[in-house]
Amino acid sequence: MKNIEEELWNYLDGLGSEQERERISQLIATDKAYQQQYEELLSFNNELESMELDAPPMAFTYNVMETIRTEEASKPLKAAIDNRIIKGIALFFIVSILALVGMALATTNWNSVTAGGLKMPADLHLPSLKNIFNNTALKGFVFFDTVLALYLFDGYLRRRKPLGDM
Amino acid sequence: MQSKLTDIELIEQTLAGNQSAYADLVKRHQRFVFTLALRFTKTREDAEEVAQDCFIKAYRSLQSFSGNSKFTTWLYSIVYTTAMTFLRKRRLDTSSIDDESNLIQVENRNAAFENNMAENKSRSYYVNQAIEQLMPDDAMIITLFYKGEQSLEEIAVALGIEPNNVKVKLFRARQRLKEKLERNLKHEVNELI
Repeated sequence: MKNIEEELWNYLDGLGSEQERERISQLIATDKAYQQQYEELLSFNNELESMELDAPPMAFTYNVMETIRTEEASKPLKAAIDNRIIKGIALFFIVSILALVGMALATTNWNSVTAGGLKMPADLHLPSLKNIFNNTALKGFVFFDTVLALYLFDGYLRRRKPLGDM
Repeated sequence: MQSKLTDIELIEQTLAGNQSAYADLVKRHQRFVFTLALRFTKTREDAEEVAQDCFIKAYRSLQSFSGNSKFTTWLYSIVYTTAMTFLRKRRLDTSSIDDESNLIQVENRNAAFENNMAENKSRSYYVNQAIEQLMPDDAMIITLFYKGEQSLEEIAVALGIEPNNVKVKLFRARQRLKEKLERNLKHEVNELI
């Protein structure tokens, strides 16, 4: 069972059913004990409603925005790169490797494979290493791989750092 | 001058890259967030640090704000967890030296209280003083209810508890505040006599 104070607080907070509020209202009007406590709580409630908020220092907003700006400026490259780009690059490499393997398998003369070992087809001409490393496309490919490796290494090092508070 | 845009509109602009919209949000809510932080930390310097931390955290996770609740409810839940973390951290850092400094702080407070006796203080001064003497949880629940324009359900979301629990806590917090206020006022009357 609720005591008078609890009932009156519910009444002041606007809680409870319509009938309940009506009942309390009647009691305040007729019962001295209810009336006295109601006035006391009402005055206390008004004081709480009129209490003032504290103000932070004048430069508060500026300090918050300055910290955010500094954080934004030093955001790592990792966060700026879209994950879809990474996935696209990975897909490109997977498709390229699969295409190369597929092509190699398709062009292999399986009749030349004997029980004694794998014979190289007579008409197979391997390009010389010199030609391979002079190829501009390959150089570009190696450069791209190097950048990607550095990026992944950077990510690995960042993960190793202890995480600060959020 | 503060922006007339709603919180949601300011959030949308912030997410679109307009940082000054977020500055408007900070300006709008800084007093309340600072007051809540002060309820926990008890010193203005620490409250400023906690309040700043809250706004920075809110900015970082603004994209995760779904809009299902009021922005303030979401922001106050950040204030609550940040302030609790601050208190926990401070408790861990506590040593015998800190105990001594706490004693000095209490003594200073008492001295300040005595010095202010002669001045004619408004009743709201005593209400604020009594709130400062409450436990952080009690002080926060009273501040959220009376100054944060939060319903019991919204306070429950911000504090991560059941609405019925909030109702009980609010009732008890008001009882304790009333007792402290009466004791403080009685003490002053005795001093004047």
